[in-house]
Amino acid sequence: MRFILAILVGKLIFFLTRNFKLGGGSAAPGLYALSIEPNLVAKLAAKIPKNVVITGTNGKTTTAKMLAHFAKETGLKVIRNHTGSNLERGIASTLISCVNLCVNLKGCRLNFDLGIWELDEAAFNNVTPKLNPEVVIFLNVFRDQLDRYGEIDTVTKNWCQALKKLSSETAVLVNGDDANILKLAACFRGKVQKFGVKDYTIAGESIIHKKEIENLDFEAKNVKTNGLTGISFSLSLHYQSSIVHLPVPGIYHIYDFLAAFAAGTMLNIDPDEMVLSLKTYSPAFGRVEKFHLNPTSHRTPTSEVGYMGYIFLIKNPAGATQVFETIAPNIKPGDRMLLALNDNIADGTDVSWIWDANFELIQNSSNLSERAKSRDYTIIASGSRANDLALRLKYANFNPKEIKIQPDLKQALKQAGMGLKGKLFILPTYTAMLELQSILTKAGIKKHYWEDE
Amino acid sequence: MNKMKITIGYLYGDLMNIYGDTGNIIALKKRAEWRGIKVDVKNISIDDKLYTSDVSSKKINIYFFGGGQDQAQELVARDLVVSSKGKSIKSEVERGVPLLAICGGYQLLGDYYKPHNGPKLPGVGLFPAYTVASHDRMIGNIIIESMFGKLVGFENHSGKTYLKKGALPLGMVVKGFGNNREDQTEGCIYKNAVGTYMHGSLLPKNPKLADWLLKKALEVKYGGKIELEPLNDTLELQAQSSAIRKFG
Repeated sequence: MRFILAILVGKLIFFLTRNFKLGGGSAAPGLYALSIEPNLVAKLAAKIPKNVVITGTNGKTTTAKMLAHFAKETGLKVIRNHTGSNLERGIASTLISCVNLCVNLKGCRLNFDLGIWELDEAAFNNVTPKLNPEVVIFLNVFRDQLDRYGEIDTVTKNWCQALKKLSSETAVLVNGDDANILKLAACFRGKVQKFGVKDYTIAGESIIHKKEIENLDFEAKNVKTNGLTGISFSLSLHYQSSIVHLPVPGIYHIYDFLAAFAAGTMLNIDPDEMVLSLKTYSPAFGRVEKFHLNPTSHRTPTSEVGYMGYIFLIKNPAGATQVFETIAPNIKPGDRMLLALNDNIADGTDVSWIWDANFELIQNSSNLSERAKSRDYTIIASGSRANDLALRLKYANFNPKEIKIQPDLKQALKQAGMGLKGKLFILPTYTAMLELQSILTKAGIKKHYWEDE
Repeated sequence: MNKMKITIGYLYGDLMNIYGDTGNIIALKKRAEWRGIKVDVKNISIDDKLYTSDVSSKKINIYFFGGGQDQAQELVARDLVVSSKGKSIKSEVERGVPLLAICGGYQLLGDYYKPHNGPKLPGVGLFPAYTVASHDRMIGNIIIESMFGKLVGFENHSGKTYLKKGALPLGMVVKGFGNNREDQTEGCIYKNAVGTYMHGSLLPKNPKLADWLLKKALEVKYGGKIELEPLNDTLELQAQSSAIRKFG
């Protein structure tokens, strides 16, 4: 009875939040339902034939979205927590919104073939057993929000404990280039497969030991970057090498692809189909998302390329540094950059991390001549901690006169668009990204994030 | 200031580098360079054999010691004693060489650290203070009143540090927890060595303290009184005052 009540209450809250535009209903329904029936997730997840769990500091959403794309392209029906709500309540909310109105557990139906669940570093330990997953993916572990998750050693120690309890039938996929993740292999009784990129060292703190050959099961080689349009590399499929064109830039996305691809292989999705279907893949919100700036409210368009905006989520030192690495070669005179740093709980209340992120990379961008640096390239610091951001930029060698401070994101966006000649790079932290999404939606430029799919 | 040069010794920079404390090195380096002073940063770690000669030839002019993960901290605690680096650092500080230690670094330079279980970890005994593990997690923005005016930062610790009789705190807590959430003190200052729980990073937003450390370093190295050329600190002070407004 509690089970049914939980679903009813959850559904009611879901209905209310959506209809009164209180949010996307991505957390609240699950939160209330779980307080009525703590075992809700396990009971509902059992109705889905196969489940995949994805965890790690960076890349969860992209990996989940890519795997979902591969699965859907082969006709599978996929359920996932796709709004970045990666705690148990987010999963419960998704399950509640998709289940039929039922009068008992037996009558409840979830018409899906595959569940894809991203779990944050801490939620992983408690929620994974409830999902009884077919495949578990460990992407990476970086220092992130120490005020929330604790230290890396603590995170991996807990993962190790969770892995020990997992059924040996589970397929465990680990990033073979992240030494901290690689260590997890010893914690699991079953088979562990590794993915990685040949001759690449992950920026950030994870200690990489490129031993001669780490025997990667899924390995990307010959990486070639194609500006902001994407990245290509070769991958061995059925003992022959194929060229993969990933339609998102950034070497870090290769890891997300490899993880999704490896998981797809475990689920018997055809490898060639997966590679082919990348053509129609579009990135997750805020993860190298492209959008067209509204020509009327922002500027007069001169060319299609001329008014492109790019959103890159930044949330921790390693992730931000990888983003800087990706965009630095693509910054041209006339481009602008808008950075937004918030210190809400979802961003981490400690902003110290910006001092560990390599902002110097965007200043040293080789495409900017000395003259361009001082005249055309504008950088705007925004968000609730705009002043901290501006200071970080000053110490990364930006001329203080070039740094514009505008804590209000809406105003900052307006300022960035005014007279813009080139591209606009927007680098927000998590809650700043949600705010940005809402601003762009109201301006008719973007859909609501929960309408993303 | 021309032709002056200082070397910053980053103690265990490869192990004790979480919480964004590297920003302190960046701040010291930039603020020296903007005044035409050359800066070298030297990582001094567990396997560092050059270390003794660096000390005896007085090659390091400022020491910096950040916070680390618990596991790293244990390794470092042992190394400080075994390699006698701790002793050398202490004698340098006695000589007036400035030092900044944050969080874990601050704890290790005190008399001892008492973990939840197991025996006390002996410290270097540089700061007249000791630390006891607690189950209180003291996390949040912090503001203190000090001889450098108001200082702002972010603290994140569960160890409680108590100053011994006669020890001088870095400042008194205006907002936040400080050394132990009990006596309102924050940090410790001994000669030209500063120990504190304040991340943030601390020095970029608190340029007065950064410049004090630089000045002391130059005075010890070159002798006599040295006045640093003033810099335009508009952005620094703006970041500081906005934090005070927001969290004070």
